[in-house]
Amino acid sequence: MKMKHIIPLLLLAVMSLAVTSCGQSPLEKVVKQALIQQDTTQARFDSICSIIQQNPGRYKQYLTDDGQINLTELQALIERVGGDLRPPLHWDIAAYGQQELSLTIYFERSGSMVPYDNAGDRGQLKKAVNDIINHFPGSKVSINIVNDGIYPYQGSVDEFLKDRNIYASTAGVGNSAFTDFQQIFGAILKAQDASNVSIVVTDLIYSPADASDVSIDKILNEENSLATSIFRQYKGKSVLVHQLMGDYNGKYYPYTNRPVMYRGMRPFYLLVIADTPVMNRMAAQSDYAELMRPSQARNSYRINQAESGVDYCIVPGWEDDAGRYRISHKEEGLLTKVESDKQTGILCVTLAANLGGLQQTADYLGNVENYDVKAQTDFALRVTPITDKMITGNNRQYLEGKTHLLTLTGKFNTPRDEVTIRLRNEFPKWVAESSTNDDTNTSSSRFSTTTLGLEQWMRGMQDAFGATGDYTTMRLRLEK
Amino acid sequence: MKDKLVYLCIGIALTVLFFVFNEDIYEAMYYSVAFNNGLHNYDVYTPITIITILMAWGGAAVYYYAINSVRWDRWWHWLVMLAVVVLLTPIICYIVNVRMFNENGISMAAEAASFEFFNLVVTAVLFVIASFSMRWWSTNCRHTPIPQ
Repeated sequence: MKMKHIIPLLLLAVMSLAVTSCGQSPLEKVVKQALIQQDTTQARFDSICSIIQQNPGRYKQYLTDDGQINLTELQALIERVGGDLRPPLHWDIAAYGQQELSLTIYFERSGSMVPYDNAGDRGQLKKAVNDIINHFPGSKVSINIVNDGIYPYQGSVDEFLKDRNIYASTAGVGNSAFTDFQQIFGAILKAQDASNVSIVVTDLIYSPADASDVSIDKILNEENSLATSIFRQYKGKSVLVHQLMGDYNGKYYPYTNRPVMYRGMRPFYLLVIADTPVMNRMAAQSDYAELMRPSQARNSYRINQAESGVDYCIVPGWEDDAGRYRISHKEEGLLTKVESDKQTGILCVTLAANLGGLQQTADYLGNVENYDVKAQTDFALRVTPITDKMITGNNRQYLEGKTHLLTLTGKFNTPRDEVTIRLRNEFPKWVAESSTNDDTNTSSSRFSTTTLGLEQWMRGMQDAFGATGDYTTMRLRLEK
Repeated sequence: MKDKLVYLCIGIALTVLFFVFNEDIYEAMYYSVAFNNGLHNYDVYTPITIITILMAWGGAAVYYYAINSVRWDRWWHWLVMLAVVVLLTPIICYIVNVRMFNENGISMAAEAASFEFFNLVVTAVLFVIASFSMRWWSTNCRHTPIPQ
């Protein structure tokens, strides 16, 4: 072969080499895989970190001077890789690589709490506390007994877990005749550091000393003001209130302080208190699922929850779809070349959203009345929880990691439209339904599900933090 | 010699442009949201593009430098080679596409088949570009398909 014959072959080889050498680094591939598979666990994060640490020369920009992972740079890489995917995917790694959290349990030991833990009953209260301790991912756990003050539990955590009669073994600790909310919550909030989660296990019944001649309205107003005055000094905190139900067998102390025997179900509460960033971190990590949503919880509500962004995307070709559109690769949430169905004039678009991190009940998230849709087009919204059966190989990349489908249906006939879907953060109805101003009639049908002054206490806390706006807002732009 | 090199450089430039803008070119020809998103997310565009380029340039190279015979220097002989490349390439790309999708639990065989119909057109264009880039140095087929 002559030299001149080699020229084109050489150029061809160079071109092939150039073409095939273009590609992602192993780190980018692993990040991409994690995003596509929605595998945003601690284990996957650790595996990504180990790739970086095993190749310090190649990935030095992802390491700090002392050899630790540079979370800012790694987050930037994840955003870049995730932003290039269709639909764009996000993974907030701020929660990883942070200081280990500690857990402090404040176990109320007032007279009205003792009947929750009888040997002959099911012991839901103790089980709920044990579950939280057992499922807490950290190893730093401490327990306190509270009534008129805060007293450290004398045994170990293991002894607490095994204790079959916690109230008998803590008899004599403090004064169980009344619960000093001001003293307890004030001390908890003051003592709490940025890496601590505190859980108050309580029936949330305000029972101040010397209240025998005081009217119930005055007591409840006092409770409301007390809650506001305690929490208003700590606006950086969040409080997650879980309501649970437990067997109750023993003396119940109504506000008149004349005890009556009661046997049946009664609500009790787990108040999770932490700095707002810590609460957000726990909401984002599945490791804290039992703490953020205990399996026995009947109702939950987080006080001081700011509006947060959620992952959402258009699900192309979903079964309800009507009309046609293209999803823009340049701008998230933009649909171009939108056309309604030619025969019906209807446009139907379905979004998949991950509402799991909003710390709201399935009923609340699934209720379309809690959403507001704003658009020129009169879109009707339907909200459907995503079940495992809905996920197939073809739609996995859109539905995996998402919790709800939001389907918009309407006659789209404008050149362009901007759709805003808001999930309102409203004070939950269950609080009023679970609250009473008179707890003297234990034979009332509401007695088993209501707590004296719950609404006043919760509203007092809410008022301390001020209005928090919506849970989230999703936006969609449509262009013909 | 200089003119021939210009043809070669233009051919290579067009091919590199196709490689760089492969997604835009393919999506301008065929677009089904879920299918094209799958091609993008699972990096299927890149192997399909590389296969198409290598088949087109490789096919032309085989014709002009391996076959390179006076018995095979008529335009219809070149057309036979074009037909072979144009049929083989979409079949290979289809297999690669379906396999890569199956590995990720995606089943879109019908969309893949439609997409490969358009890839057939791309292959034909690239084969013509490759032929006009490299034919000048062939000893027996440099006048094929159109005489100089």
